[in-house]
Amino acid sequence: MSVYAMVKDTSVTEAVKAALTKLISQDLVDAVLVAAKSPYSALPMPTLFANAEAMDGIDPLAPAAPFNAARQAATVSRQATGKRLALVLRPCEIRALIELVKLNQCTLENVVLIGIECLGRMENEVFLRHAAAQGDVTAEFLKNTSLQDDITRTCKMCEQFEPAHADIVMSTLGMAENSVLFASGSETGEALLKELGLSPAEKPAERETVTKQLLEKRAAFKKEVFAETSEKINSIEKFEEMIGTCLNCYNCRQACPVCYCKECVFLTDVFSARPETLLRRAQKRGSVKLPTDTSMFHLTRLSHIAHACVGCGQCSSVCPSNIPVADIFTTVAAQVQARYDYVPGRDVQEPIPYLMFEEKQKSGEPK
Amino acid sequence: MVKSMSDFQPKIIALVCNWCTYTAADLAGTSRLSYPANIRMIRMMCTGMIDPKYILKAFLDGADGVFIGGCHPGDCHYINGNLKFKKRMAGMEAIIKQFGFDENRLRLRWIGASEGPEFQHNMTDFIQTIQDMGPSPAQGIMVL
Amino acid sequence: MTTQNKPRIGVYICHCGMNIAPKVDVEEVARSIQTLDHVTVARDYKFMCSNPGQDMIINDIKELGLNRVVVASCSPRMHEKTFRNAVKTAGLNPYYFQMANIREQVSWVTKDSQEATEKAKSLVAAAVGRVFFHQPLETREVSVTKSVLVIGGGIAGMQAALTSANAGYEVYLVEREPSIGGHMAKFDKTFPTLDCAACIMTPKMVDVLQHPGITLYTWSEVHKVEGFIGNFEVTIKKNPRYVDEKKCTGCGTCMQKCPTKKVVSEFNEGLSFRTAIYTPFPQAVPNVPVIDADHCRVLGQNKKCGVCVKFCETKAIDFEQKPEFVTLTVGAIITATGFQAVNPSGMEQYGYGRFPEVYTSLEFERLNNATGPTSGKVVMKNGKVPERVAIVHCVGSRDTRHKKYCSRVCCMYSMKFAHLLREKTGAEVWEFYIDIRSPGKLYEEFYNRVQEEGVRFIRGRVAEITDIVDDATDEGRLTVIAESTLTRRTVRVPVDMVVLSVGLEPARGSEDIGRLLGVSRDGDGWFNELHAKLAPVATPISGIFLAGCCQGPKDIPDTVAQSMGAAGEAIALLAKGIVTTQAEISRIDPDLCSGCKSCIESCSYSAIRFDEARKVAVVNEALCMGCGSCAAACPSSAAGVKHFTDQQVMGEIESILL
Repeated sequence: MSVYAMVKDTSVTEAVKAALTKLISQDLVDAVLVAAKSPYSALPMPTLFANAEAMDGIDPLAPAAPFNAARQAATVSRQATGKRLALVLRPCEIRALIELVKLNQCTLENVVLIGIECLGRMENEVFLRHAAAQGDVTAEFLKNTSLQDDITRTCKMCEQFEPAHADIVMSTLGMAENSVLFASGSETGEALLKELGLSPAEKPAERETVTKQLLEKRAAFKKEVFAETSEKINSIEKFEEMIGTCLNCYNCRQACPVCYCKECVFLTDVFSARPETLLRRAQKRGSVKLPTDTSMFHLTRLSHIAHACVGCGQCSSVCPSNIPVADIFTTVAAQVQARYDYVPGRDVQEPIPYLMFEEKQKSGEPK
Repeated sequence: MVKSMSDFQPKIIALVCNWCTYTAADLAGTSRLSYPANIRMIRMMCTGMIDPKYILKAFLDGADGVFIGGCHPGDCHYINGNLKFKKRMAGMEAIIKQFGFDENRLRLRWIGASEGPEFQHNMTDFIQTIQDMGPSPAQGIMVL
Repeated sequence: MTTQNKPRIGVYICHCGMNIAPKVDVEEVARSIQTLDHVTVARDYKFMCSNPGQDMIINDIKELGLNRVVVASCSPRMHEKTFRNAVKTAGLNPYYFQMANIREQVSWVTKDSQEATEKAKSLVAAAVGRVFFHQPLETREVSVTKSVLVIGGGIAGMQAALTSANAGYEVYLVEREPSIGGHMAKFDKTFPTLDCAACIMTPKMVDVLQHPGITLYTWSEVHKVEGFIGNFEVTIKKNPRYVDEKKCTGCGTCMQKCPTKKVVSEFNEGLSFRTAIYTPFPQAVPNVPVIDADHCRVLGQNKKCGVCVKFCETKAIDFEQKPEFVTLTVGAIITATGFQAVNPSGMEQYGYGRFPEVYTSLEFERLNNATGPTSGKVVMKNGKVPERVAIVHCVGSRDTRHKKYCSRVCCMYSMKFAHLLREKTGAEVWEFYIDIRSPGKLYEEFYNRVQEEGVRFIRGRVAEITDIVDDATDEGRLTVIAESTLTRRTVRVPVDMVVLSVGLEPARGSEDIGRLLGVSRDGDGWFNELHAKLAPVATPISGIFLAGCCQGPKDIPDTVAQSMGAAGEAIALLAKGIVTTQAEISRIDPDLCSGCKSCIESCSYSAIRFDEARKVAVVNEALCMGCGSCAAACPSSAAGVKHFTDQQVMGEIESILL
């Protein structure tokens, strides 16, 4: 059973700030990783705070996320340092982080996960445009549903906007203006909420209806995108058309929170084509498009991470050629994950499907 | 580019385990059990070492089918490499299927070292399956 | 390194007499291959494996400066070694060689000659495409420490220790109980010859104790195992005995005087009591008692007692003893952790625990044993001799609800019980069985013998044992209910005593030992042997061998034979003195490794460890078998198998499809 508390302030951002600064000022954690605006940009960046006074710019509920911050979270929690960390993350970031824990890229030891109920993020330029037009985009976004239509395509199909596995969840759906609901998701979270001394609250009754409506809307859109994408890539020829403008810049890989390799195999000489092979192929076919490994790159990446794709959409956001990479990846990922009955980020104890082959010997013919 | 069905000669890559299917192929040879010439066999030490890249590479390079031959469950020379591959196979099938390769162009079978006739039968059957399916959709497209 | 930078490939197409040549147009294959990149020379010859054939390769390497060789002939399983040696003779690394199989895979199985020729061209081109990426490989030799660790001091461990020590090697035998002897020390007679277990067992125990090559660690456990074949670093935890082994004379006065006398005896299966300071049985080896800290008044209850201290003339009692850790280096490990009897408490229908006259087979062994609680008199709890006894087979075995396997020894020991019961008490004995399994030397004869002795055999699994009797005169007895599958009738037999022939399961703690050693266990918990038929005592972990029941249920003769086999394997390893590592093994590039441990999870041989300081996975070359599970699991290709690299395999694929 969750414990609830409510914080009301002059704005939601102030309400969040009021609570999160206490984590440090009351010595409950040593540092907090949370998205914050800097004097240099309105775009909130993952920022590590060790001092409550420095936290003025934090804005975790802003509808912007230039990174899937699981990567940054993994950097600060790469190994246990003896310090207690609070990581303030979106649901897709938590899911990715859990996958990274399974891959030994970071640890949740001494980490408090504070999840954000995420109504979506905008592409960076969209967010900056709104920021230039009106000061507090966060406040506008949370109450203005028309602004909520400006979130990314991938966010619009996200059904997992409520974070699982967080010790504390911050949410605004169904809440009165300028109020944030804090709910515990674990014993650690419950203890922290008590120590923070926030005023206890009831879960607002209207939350359920609002959540359900949003869920339905998202699910419908997701179904639509999957169907549309699946049709668009159902032949290798169509797929080639879709990625015809790919520049092999590997931005998608760089932005992907679960593409964790220190150095990608596509940067090694494994796929480097030999000149004599290229010439032979050109002779045989008349021509060869270079580089040759474009589709190989995307398909290999799918074979590596489709089971772990958390659907954050960052790959699409960073593509300079506007290829709907996330549409492709989430569509394929859903099929792969269904085959393995695997949900990335569902449980830190759930083994990665490829590494789970305990099935009894003598069992089963192939197919 | 697309040839008529009758003169279509599929090219099939077979990635097979040294300890079972490869040995069964040798046995089929010694026993003069003939099968169509479309199979190109690549010797692996274990199906467990087959990287998904190899399968993707084969398909994108224009293979009409990919056959994987491993040891029966419980007989793996390396304990359970075959089961490790089998697990990967499910994901690979989903991926190639989505991109328009008929799932049946990728086939995994367990063929033991002493199963020469089974090897022959499997080759004949797979070649026929691919023959019926026609050329791979990647044929004639400059994919790789 | 011009050799590596500029491949000069020589390709040799073998006619194999009439085996390849008429079907495959070998000259055409050679002509076609000659046009491929980097092919310096392509020839065809009648018999490549003959001396002149090999000489042709050797001469070409020397005269044409070849640095890669492809032979297209038979299966590499036939002649790969031959040609590698030829290449090596010419001064090239033998791994700069690749074979194309155009006999078994082409000429022998292809009907059409033109198709055969085309397929041969393709396979040879693939070999050329692969050999381009070949790299020189070396094997490595590691010296072996000439000592053996044996885990478990039952008959299996004792025998393995004795055989190894007799070969002149240092042996460390670790046993967690206060004495060696294991289950066999509890038995009275052994089937089928009915020799007295103690008579054949105790001298062996003494042999182990007195053997100059064996160091005995009883009341001790294996705490940590590191290293690999040839050089395992083993830490043994010696639990405090609270009795100084060097001072104790084994006089036994402490045990007589100890005031805590009501501790349930494990050795007697709970049928009698022991003191807090005790040896499990009079013939214990070593004959040095231990103090059971939980029941000792001083150690467990903080009371003033010290009776043992007062009576010990050699001042051997030492309440200050702490666990001690001993570190050893051994070349081989023999696991002989044995079994435990299945506990029938959960099987309601048999009434074990509810009816005092229902015994497990091990309890009956003690009841029947001259050193047991009744000094060998088979009597009921009320002191009376039973007049009719039922023996129930397959309790917990061959039962899908418990152990689905056959425990192998129960039929025989059940019949041994029947014989002993007839002999000692004259009681009527009813055996309830599913099938009688007596496949052993003199076993079937023993079965015939007990049948002749008048033992009744009912073919059918016992449905229930109840204290409800059909006839008032049987009041106080138990009724065994079963369906005789031979007569298709339900039988209800009133008896005085029931013996449950419980099955065998892996000993408590074998899971921990498996984890320490990295040896996997099957679905039933028994240790996995390397190969069920051809390597039954080896494990997937090189240098670790299995003896006795830890690998699966066995009787004493099989256990002893397997123990000698395990010792033989260990001795062979130690006698050779070196381990040669395979060349085709895994390597992990630390610059590419992200430390995700997927390879470690995938490795069935515990051959990859994690370097915490560098956060990278490191292959143990002595343990790696080259299966490549790690390579397939590694997304960045940091892990890969030498001689089966991505480039080599994909080079082959590419050449076929080009």
